[in-house]
Amino acid sequence: MIDTRINRVLVEEGATSSAMSKRILKRLHGLPVGHVSPDSTYQKPEFLDMDKETLRLISFNGEFLKPCPGTPGYICCGYQILHVGTNCPMDCTYCILQAYFNEPSLRIFVNLEERLERIGQVIDSQPEKIFRIGTGEFTDSLAHDHIVGWCHTLLPFFFDRKNVVLELKTKTNRIEGLLSSQYRDQIIVSWSLNSPYISNREEKRAPSIKRRLQAAKRCQEEGYTLGFHFDPLIEHPNWKEEYTRTLEMMDSYINPTGIIWISLGCLRYIPVLKTIIRKRHPDTHILDGEFIPGLDGKMRYFKPIRIDIYSFMAEMLKKWHKELGIYLCMESDEVWYKSLGWSPKDSKGLCQFLDGRVREVFG
Amino acid sequence: MDIRHFSDNIPVLVDAKDIDGSPGPFSMSFGFDLKPLIRSIEKSGLINTPFLIRGNNGNMLPVVGFRRILALKSLQWTKIPYVDLSDAGLSVLDLILLNLNDNLTTRKFNDVEKGMILYRLIPHVTRDEILRHYMPLLSLPSHESSLDLFLKIEELDTIIKRSIADGTVSMKAIGQILDMDHESRMNVFIWLKKIKFNFNQQIQFTEYIKDISIKEEKSITHILGGEKLVKLLEDKKLNNPQKAKHVLHYLRSRRFPLLTDSEKSFRKNLSRLNLPKGVRIQHPPFFETPHYRLEILFRNGKELKEKIDYLAELDRLEMIEDPWEKDFS
Repeated sequence: MIDTRINRVLVEEGATSSAMSKRILKRLHGLPVGHVSPDSTYQKPEFLDMDKETLRLISFNGEFLKPCPGTPGYICCGYQILHVGTNCPMDCTYCILQAYFNEPSLRIFVNLEERLERIGQVIDSQPEKIFRIGTGEFTDSLAHDHIVGWCHTLLPFFFDRKNVVLELKTKTNRIEGLLSSQYRDQIIVSWSLNSPYISNREEKRAPSIKRRLQAAKRCQEEGYTLGFHFDPLIEHPNWKEEYTRTLEMMDSYINPTGIIWISLGCLRYIPVLKTIIRKRHPDTHILDGEFIPGLDGKMRYFKPIRIDIYSFMAEMLKKWHKELGIYLCMESDEVWYKSLGWSPKDSKGLCQFLDGRVREVFG
Repeated sequence: MDIRHFSDNIPVLVDAKDIDGSPGPFSMSFGFDLKPLIRSIEKSGLINTPFLIRGNNGNMLPVVGFRRILALKSLQWTKIPYVDLSDAGLSVLDLILLNLNDNLTTRKFNDVEKGMILYRLIPHVTRDEILRHYMPLLSLPSHESSLDLFLKIEELDTIIKRSIADGTVSMKAIGQILDMDHESRMNVFIWLKKIKFNFNQQIQFTEYIKDISIKEEKSITHILGGEKLVKLLEDKKLNNPQKAKHVLHYLRSRRFPLLTDSEKSFRKNLSRLNLPKGVRIQHPPFFETPHYRLEILFRNGKELKEKIDYLAELDRLEMIEDPWEKDFS
């Protein structure tokens, strides 16, 4: 299990009456509950404190389903983000959400259920398009599932829509909601993986790689399609041996034929995040690499380093199994060719490749 | 707080020695030149009376007019007229704001003074109010990080504060050295002052030093005391701009060894091609895109054709490739 330390709940105006709020408050019975206005700065934490001890229930007014913004100059997978909340109880050194310190606390959008019908209309209105939807962009897809019940809400909604897959992306082993659900079709459960070295040092409060893979194995045994994301790949001492350890564990626990895709993405960050990482995690070495400004303004490893890392990972993964749906996250056509030996050319090509994987797996 | 109420007060005299000589908890003055004020008082006398308040130890503390008090003391005035605010029923925040508003209308604050203001306000005003109201008032961005930076200025050594106040050290560079231990901070500061880097170079220098210290797990003092850097610093044949260039080049190559090796190899390989005069080949910034750039300088079509013909005959041109692949010599 992950290490959650929620010690209070704040309910924003407009969020009180939702069924999800009531369910959450029932499950967290006994914790102090405060009622605040949406723009409230009520007991705002210190600068750079993410206030991961507070669960904030919010009636979200923005778009719940949004395309991944991608990044200029690089090939994007055309993912759709289902915005169910922000922040997560884990505290990974490299997390981009640290840059959004003006929105602290663990935030749950409790009007999700009320907005699902509209999301369904959007999906159903384009039956020829495959929607690859994920909830793990701004939060962990399963970290709060035992409190919120996302699996209970989302799995039955998506399972019988044939032009959509829902990917639940996690670092946790919180799979009770998945195991108790009867729905498998159109659902992908994905784990974010790294080397044990990085996991131990940089993914604070997250379960070990072994525990993640044990959870993945259990889900696979229960009939779920799996995905894996090596993102961010980080150069560190003996990184080849360390990442090989993770791949060996994958081999021990996972049947590769049940994997829809594995993404690879080297560490990249917006420049402002460097200062925040230095302040929040002064002992980290993740910024030691040779980072240069990319075409999108984000800092990324000097190209030959990225190619070296991707080539190694791809080669090792291909040795394990030929058809793993390996793809690169936010990389250039050139890096694709030099690392994987082929390229989808552009974002459209990558979408077609991944849509093809969806059709192969789910029919 | 009613300002008219204060103007009704009749000034009284106090012994100059009874007035505290430091800015105290309400004033925000640092790094100023007192001479113009002294000359003004010499010519026209004291036009505006300082406001004082009695401190805990019986001394009078300046609320408004700290610089005037210093000028009067410098002019050997033994008795100084003042308005006593001791019984005006004003809170500490009222007194700080009295000073702030008095100054805001007449002058600009330097960055140290802005830090002093925020430092004095922070115990009495919420961070949100400071961000929303006071940061814009001081022409500062309403960012938490900016507020934190300016709050920490107050804790710096006076020598560093002077450089901030006179604008010779970049606030971004200061931001980089604020969280260093005292010894490291002072060492970096000494380098900034000795080499006289420009602002961009100051930021690069501090960033490289910090990154190298973390990457190599060596103290900043150890890195700055390294033979190569000390030699550059003491090299009498180099002027400051040259020293700055060499120091930054050395630190960059230490921080980015593969990138700088690639750039060096590329330059070396290009020099072997014997490109004609006026022809230049450039690699993309950081080699991130795959495209190299060819630039030909020519006077007319004939010269252009000659240069293109010459290039077409250069066999080695085909060997241009990313320098980490292999030498194209």
